[in-house]
Amino acid sequence: MALLEIDSLTVRFGGLVAVDNFSMRVEKGEIHSLIGPNGAGKTTVFNAITRVVKIHSGTIVLDGVELTHVAPHRVVSYGVARTFQNVVVFKYLTVLENFYVGYHHRIVGGLLKDLIPTKRRLIENYDMYREALKLADFLGLKSRLLSYAGSIPYFHQKLVEIGRALMAKPKLLLLDEPAAGLNEAETKQLVNIVRRIREEMGITVLLIEHDMRVVMDISDVVTVMDFGKKISEGKPEEVRKDPKVISAYLGEINSA
Amino acid sequence: MFLNRLILGLSTGSFYSLAAMGIVLIFKVTGLMNFAYGNMAMFMAYVTYTFVSLGLGAWSALVLTLLVSMLFGYAVERFTLRPLRKLSHGSMLIVTFGILMILEGLATQIWGTQYKSLPELIAGRPLIFRGDFGIVVFRRQDLLLFAVLVTVSFLVFLLYRFTKVGIAMRAVSENEKAAQLMGIDPNKVISWCWMVGTAIGTMVAVLGAPRTYVSPTMMIYYQIQGFTAAVLGGFDSLLGALCGGLVLGVIENLIGGYISNELKTTLSLAIIVGILLVRPQGLFGSEEIRRV
Amino acid sequence: MLELKNVTVSYGPVVAVKNVSLKVEKSSITTILGANGSGKTSLLHAIVGLNKIVSGEILFEGERIDKFEAHEIVRRGLILCPDNRMVFQKMTVLENLQAGAYLRRDDLSKDFEFVFTLFPKLKERLKQKAGTLSGGERQMLAIARALMAKPKLLMLDEPSTGLAPNLVTEIMRAIKRINESGVTILLVEQSAYAALKISHYGYVLQTGRLVMEGPSERLIRDSSVVESYLGGR
Repeated sequence: MALLEIDSLTVRFGGLVAVDNFSMRVEKGEIHSLIGPNGAGKTTVFNAITRVVKIHSGTIVLDGVELTHVAPHRVVSYGVARTFQNVVVFKYLTVLENFYVGYHHRIVGGLLKDLIPTKRRLIENYDMYREALKLADFLGLKSRLLSYAGSIPYFHQKLVEIGRALMAKPKLLLLDEPAAGLNEAETKQLVNIVRRIREEMGITVLLIEHDMRVVMDISDVVTVMDFGKKISEGKPEEVRKDPKVISAYLGEINSA
Repeated sequence: MFLNRLILGLSTGSFYSLAAMGIVLIFKVTGLMNFAYGNMAMFMAYVTYTFVSLGLGAWSALVLTLLVSMLFGYAVERFTLRPLRKLSHGSMLIVTFGILMILEGLATQIWGTQYKSLPELIAGRPLIFRGDFGIVVFRRQDLLLFAVLVTVSFLVFLLYRFTKVGIAMRAVSENEKAAQLMGIDPNKVISWCWMVGTAIGTMVAVLGAPRTYVSPTMMIYYQIQGFTAAVLGGFDSLLGALCGGLVLGVIENLIGGYISNELKTTLSLAIIVGILLVRPQGLFGSEEIRRV
Repeated sequence: MLELKNVTVSYGPVVAVKNVSLKVEKSSITTILGANGSGKTSLLHAIVGLNKIVSGEILFEGERIDKFEAHEIVRRGLILCPDNRMVFQKMTVLENLQAGAYLRRDDLSKDFEFVFTLFPKLKERLKQKAGTLSGGERQMLAIARALMAKPKLLMLDEPSTGLAPNLVTEIMRAIKRINESGVTILLVEQSAYAALKISHYGYVLQTGRLVMEGPSERLIRDSSVVESYLGGR
């Protein structure tokens, strides 16, 4: 059964059609990549799923629940968490606090309740702490927990962002260019972590990535976009040989 | 007397327009709200006063001060703000605040706390017109002010539209990186804008001095209203600044005349808030919709 | 004419280009190919002085230019035509061209003539704001604006991006004609085939490193170019 179903999605900015009648399905437990040349509309698809851009037409359904009209800050409680193209961590919070931010939507009640140390609150806090610890361990950030997120190496900041997203216990994790700016050793570690997120946590992963070695290595299914439309989909080795994909990236061999 | 109120409004508005144009000119290329703008002009009014008290005629003192003010604008940007430009916008704002206070203190130190007066640049009996419309009074000072406003606006328009410097200014304000690719040195362009902007501010201070007297706080109201006028005009449009100032001046005077003199500032600001609610981009602001 | 020796560029902690060495011969068309995120734009911005390089040397006509400010480099005739979003949208086509000629003091009429024979559409749109142009026209304007600076070496940043195939062909033809008029060209492209067809020599950049180089007619038949884009084996 499909976890995420996007059906004939269209997003416009003024006269520009960024995503044009685009449909795709992400199956439960998959690692699925969304690729395409610059300006193809990949990030816009992410933004539509997380509802930060206006959807012109089409529907987005997650696990049987329609997300199309959900408010952006509520999307996470429906089970979608994401990371950004340029790392967005809270620089002046510690790694641990960054993780807590990710847990935010799972806490019941508002500020007032937060101030009164009821038993339930204490248990929640303890759960939150334990969860953060577990994730830090999982991501190899244990020694960094009390450092400010802005002060740690770039790769670790990326992991903090992933960790924060995982704190929300999502069904679907969206990663926007996780390997950008990483060196080879770090890229390998990242690939490994993404695999383990699927295997050990059972979380479905949808990622945008430019580094094709990562895409081809990690994905079960690859969807290719160009000019806002889906041009190809399939296993990595199929997509790689698809003439449509080759000409989207390298141009028409017979033109000019 | 509606017509006389209107004229009065346009005359106050001219001050706001000029102040706003200087603010916008600097804002457009540097993206910086210059809080010291008014006090730099205030300081220059004192310089004019010094020239006059040394025996110079009012007009030659003004011309001389305008030259000094350009140097002053250049120096303030070159030595206090440029070193910070690539580091942090926030610190630049704070620096302009600092300059605001330093100049206020310095002016008191040098010239004392007593208000000074500057002579009118033009004096004489007001011009009076009688007709079916009633009696309309034009003060000669107002005519001078309108003339200055028209001249300055026209010169700035010519500069902006038709000269190489103007094209460079617009290029830098739209896309600094692309401008550099044409061989335009953004630092030079920023210097130009500071020089012209400061000179315009100085004009406001010197022309306004006969009304306000020369004092450390003389420019505060003009700075605030100039800023408001700029916002009303859209903040990135010189034409907007020009019209915004005039509209503000007229609204303010009509309210002062017909409703209540005490409430004129409050009510005029309320009206502007209203206008901005309907047209958030201001009267002439570019209508680009910013993506999140 | 242009030579890069072990150039490394980074944005803060992220290394965008690592240890790149390459040469652009006088009056040639040289191309640098690479998929998105391979560091092409970072490299161009470094050459023209918008970014400072971390290490290495950049030589233009034998002179080291990597310490210069952008406007000093432009003065030497090394001009970058950036991607088409960087035309001045609030200015008219004519004003954009005038901005391009900012450093010139000599007669511009020949240059205007050349630019208009190359892109007749621009002549029709002369008084229009650049923001109202179509993507293809903006690209033409970007190239025309760069030409107004009278480049010795013209560098183009992905002129084909976002354009329909027939427009890509038109742009590539124009680039060839510019080259034939005596301007050396460094063409940075994602559309590998289009670029290889008009160029003499090519380099392939992959995540910030040069992975391949050779004469264009050889690269065009080499399947490892495709692999460098879409992952190999």
